[in-house]
Amino acid sequence: MRFPTLILKNLLRRKTRSSLTTIGISIGIATIVALGALMSGMKSGMEGILKSGEADFSVAQSGVSDLQFSKIAEDRVEEIEALEGVKKAAGAFMTFYPVEGNPYTITWGVNEEDLLMFGVNIVNGSSFSQEYELIIGEVLSKDIGKAVGDKLVLGQEEFNITGVFETGSLYQDRGLALSLRKLQEIEKKEGYVMIVYVELEEGANIEEICQQIEETYPDLVTIKSVAELGKVDKGLEVLDAVNLAVSFLAILIGGIGVTNTMIMSIYERTREIGVLRAVGWRRRRVLSMVLGESMLLCLFSVPVGSLLGFFGVQLLLLHPIVGGLLEPIFTLDTFVRAFVVAFAVGLVGGFYPAYRASKLSPGEALRYE
Amino acid sequence: MNKIVVTKSLVKTFEEGRVKALNGVNLEVREGEFIAIMGPSGSGKTTLLNILGALDRPTSGIVMVDGTDLSKVKNLDEIRAKKIGFVFQLHNLLPVLTASENIEVPMFELGLSNKERARRAEEFLRLVGLEKRIDFVPTKLSGGERQRVAIARALANNPRIILADEPTGNLDSTSGDEVVHLLQKLNKEGRTIILVTHDEEIAAHANVVYCMRDGKILKHRPSSANRE
Repeated sequence: MRFPTLILKNLLRRKTRSSLTTIGISIGIATIVALGALMSGMKSGMEGILKSGEADFSVAQSGVSDLQFSKIAEDRVEEIEALEGVKKAAGAFMTFYPVEGNPYTITWGVNEEDLLMFGVNIVNGSSFSQEYELIIGEVLSKDIGKAVGDKLVLGQEEFNITGVFETGSLYQDRGLALSLRKLQEIEKKEGYVMIVYVELEEGANIEEICQQIEETYPDLVTIKSVAELGKVDKGLEVLDAVNLAVSFLAILIGGIGVTNTMIMSIYERTREIGVLRAVGWRRRRVLSMVLGESMLLCLFSVPVGSLLGFFGVQLLLLHPIVGGLLEPIFTLDTFVRAFVVAFAVGLVGGFYPAYRASKLSPGEALRYE
Repeated sequence: MNKIVVTKSLVKTFEEGRVKALNGVNLEVREGEFIAIMGPSGSGKTTLLNILGALDRPTSGIVMVDGTDLSKVKNLDEIRAKKIGFVFQLHNLLPVLTASENIEVPMFELGLSNKERARRAEEFLRLVGLEKRIDFVPTKLSGGERQRVAIARALANNPRIILADEPTGNLDSTSGDEVVHLLQKLNKEGRTIILVTHDEEIAAHANVVYCMRDGKILKHRPSSANRE
């Protein structure tokens, strides 16, 4: 018999208690996995918005709490394009509209000649050229069952679908695009764009150009990577903080659950621990045994919690609002995080009972009734 | 023969001195002896056994086990692991482990390989006549069989001293006899046996019987078996 076998057998002695504790921790793990996947999806979507197609970086209004509140005068687009090293600058407008039951369909307003820069590839039909024309993403087309030649109501107005596009980003492909002018008119923001995409000349120094833009226009901010999302989206930062807080709570609640389970187990096995000490076990071995039990209990929770988290998110996505807005991405990072949390819960939650068990005097433990 | 266990003026108090469990116990046990300690409940037998077995430390006095002064040993774990084997009134086997696995438990401290542990456990099970019960968990064994597994566990690390605290207290007379004969057999193989019991008949199997009362050894006498 190996030492880990003894640890496992000890856990299996009280199957119901071990299972309930595992389920308790698994719920925490599931929350971490689900939130992690949703956050990754949201970040990926934001990255898709901020780094569309061939753009090297994007520019938004500084100091806004959400990209949607960004407002840049259209003249700035031309001024940025005129900077040395800049090949092209394109302004765009983005908002959400309810479309065929999905209340949050991402809607882009862009100039037709800039579509390529956004990485938009028309796979069916052609681009929009008239005021009441639009193109829809491949995924949206399938979701709502509309194709080229069909009509689509946006706000109070009816549009003809002239093309179906794909960008490679699920988030974008669930959206639609129409002319910048028309969207500005609908949104009553004529003369303004929300974001400016900038493509650089070959060999141009991105850092220098970004610095130049931010110095020349203090009301603007440049975003080169997803790490800089926080500059224009405080919401994601808040969600990140929430995710972190939930992880801490999971550790805390899971830790208390594990501590409780293990302390009960130690009380019940006081005499048994006395026997183990009587046959020569060192304190360290008793500590390893109890800590091993608590950690194994938590590590069982990783696959259970991951599956719960995965299927929980799938259930959540069945809701049209959530399904239309969120695209979860399950990355290895999410599961590694779940594993680390479980490991920490096992270690933190198990340490006190293990320490207590190891400190038991063998004589006293044997006298325990 | 060498003195393997020696105590001098051994005192053990509990509850901040209010209860005196041992009150100046002097005892000498020679290597290879089989001694029995008798006495009424509360006379201090188990307390003495726990101190001899390095489970508790005395309040004052000296305990020498196999030449080692236990008061000078900071960590008694090694003494328990290598020099002493315990048999309790209740078998105290781990319920989820098989007979063989229970015997392996003390061996974790010896750094033996899995194979070696299993081999030795099987050897000790054979010694106590339970080789056919190797994969039985305690609930599938009779009371006597469980106690024999507990004796095999006490032998696991090949100790020179076996301490048995009422090992037949929970057994019927047949099983009790089997256990005592087993202890006698181990004694004949050279192990020192210190047995605590209430039962005169069981004590009669020892070479020397000590009587305790109120934390003191009042007298000792050769057992009836020896007198005959």
